[in-house]
Amino acid sequence: MRTSKPHWGRVWRNRVALTLATLSAVFGLALLFIILYDILRHGLSALSLDLLTKDPAGPMSGGGLKGAFLGQGLLTLVATLVGAPLGILAGTYLAEYGRDKKISKVILSICDLAMSLPSIVVGVFVYSLLVKPLGGFNGWAGVVALAIIMIPLVTRTTESLLSMVPWTLREAALALGSSYHVVIIKIVYRKAASGILTGVLLAIARVAGETAPLMFTSFNNNHFEFSLSRPVASVTVTVFQYAGSPYATWIDQAWAAALVVTAVVLFLNIIGRMAVKWRG
Amino acid sequence: MEPSKAPQELLRVDKLRFYFGAHQVLKDVELPIWGNSITSLIGPSGCGKTTLLRCFNRMHDLYPNNHYEGRILMEGRNILDKNEDLIELRSQLGMVFQKPTPFPMSVYDNIAYGLKLKKITNKPLVRELVEKALRQANLWEEVKDRLRENALGLSGGQQQRLSIARSLAVSPAVLLFDEATSALDPISSAKIEEMMVELKKQVTMVVVTHNMQQAARVSDYTALMWLGELVEHGETTEIFTRPKKKMTERYVAGHFG
Repeated sequence: MRTSKPHWGRVWRNRVALTLATLSAVFGLALLFIILYDILRHGLSALSLDLLTKDPAGPMSGGGLKGAFLGQGLLTLVATLVGAPLGILAGTYLAEYGRDKKISKVILSICDLAMSLPSIVVGVFVYSLLVKPLGGFNGWAGVVALAIIMIPLVTRTTESLLSMVPWTLREAALALGSSYHVVIIKIVYRKAASGILTGVLLAIARVAGETAPLMFTSFNNNHFEFSLSRPVASVTVTVFQYAGSPYATWIDQAWAAALVVTAVVLFLNIIGRMAVKWRG
Repeated sequence: MEPSKAPQELLRVDKLRFYFGAHQVLKDVELPIWGNSITSLIGPSGCGKTTLLRCFNRMHDLYPNNHYEGRILMEGRNILDKNEDLIELRSQLGMVFQKPTPFPMSVYDNIAYGLKLKKITNKPLVRELVEKALRQANLWEEVKDRLRENALGLSGGQQQRLSIARSLAVSPAVLLFDEATSALDPISSAKIEEMMVELKKQVTMVVVTHNMQQAARVSDYTALMWLGELVEHGETTEIFTRPKKKMTERYVAGHFG
């Protein structure tokens, strides 16, 4: 065997690639930390209990964003109640009943595409479907927009988690005289339960901070009411409006509200990812 | 091992052919299964013994593009009939798999699972049947204080006996073993063999095994398969000591397979 000399071309190409990759990672992380630092710096000073407990007031007289937080919570909750079951059922079909069908592969590819769909596209789509024909912004349109973003995420995680449950477990249950739907509900779901919950949690984290799909659908409201047939207040749209206003108090409130949303989304993500680790 | 007195034919495989798609895997298999006895199916890998075993409880029906020809008779009816109620059939013919298959729930709930399917929900009765099944599977003494613990915490051998107890709880007529001890250590598999011999009083067993000594130790009847055909079937002592066919003699002596 002849001794090989170092291939300088290859070594240098490798070094250049490594440097570029490292630089981009540092650049991305630095941006993230600058954003977080900025939100913390501006947000902390304006953060107060009033923000969560008081109704909005004029630009000169303080007040809070209680309605926006409640509204965002309501929209997210109802979107989860709609989107999570649909996603879980779709994932169940793909992993169980339709596992050998070509259509399942097609649906999974569409799912992957839908997951990276810009959320503003969803907003505009629901606008043309549920806002314009109905004559005005309404909460249901916001719910549908958020649910549309959640469904492919939940479908994908459910499908992959159910596929990981060994087939012999299903065969063993079927061999006892179970019907297939009982096997899925009693055995397969139980085996995959914590993973599916994690998937739902991460999907909630994804939609909890969305602005674009809500701007075109549920829009915003100064008052909070438990009704989805009218425009619903939301933190993210309020941040968007307040941040662009000329009033210093509103801009401060926008920073504080942005801080709260960021903290909630970060918290949900960390919990979700820790749950993934615990499952090992 | 002496076969039990006056054996009755519980199952009869009659000119069974089985196809995966266009590929014929079983070729005109003829085989009686005698009641309250153990029948071993032996043969080299790919000979069709597991495929035959999975015909008895129609496991092949879970997957597309398979079909059966011929009959398997049980109490006069053909269980390969298209109109056969598979859920009912599978509760009469239990199956134990190569790898233990504990359900992700407590030891107790694992056994009670099949009882619930049979709509047995009376609590004292369920408790009694759970204990009975665990005793039959020689597992009761080891788990009686951990019935509420997750079954995944049991050892491999215990998990396998749990799987057997779970099948026994619904009082099947037949238990089908698909290499049920091949993933276990010798002590665990000895415990299961011991239990199988005990169980003959209640159920008929059909056992697929690669372990020739096991077939010789536990079974009353042995059937040798090769390339999807039944080569020879008879009392285990006959098959192992005075086989009629040259191929059987060579196989049990370990010359091929």
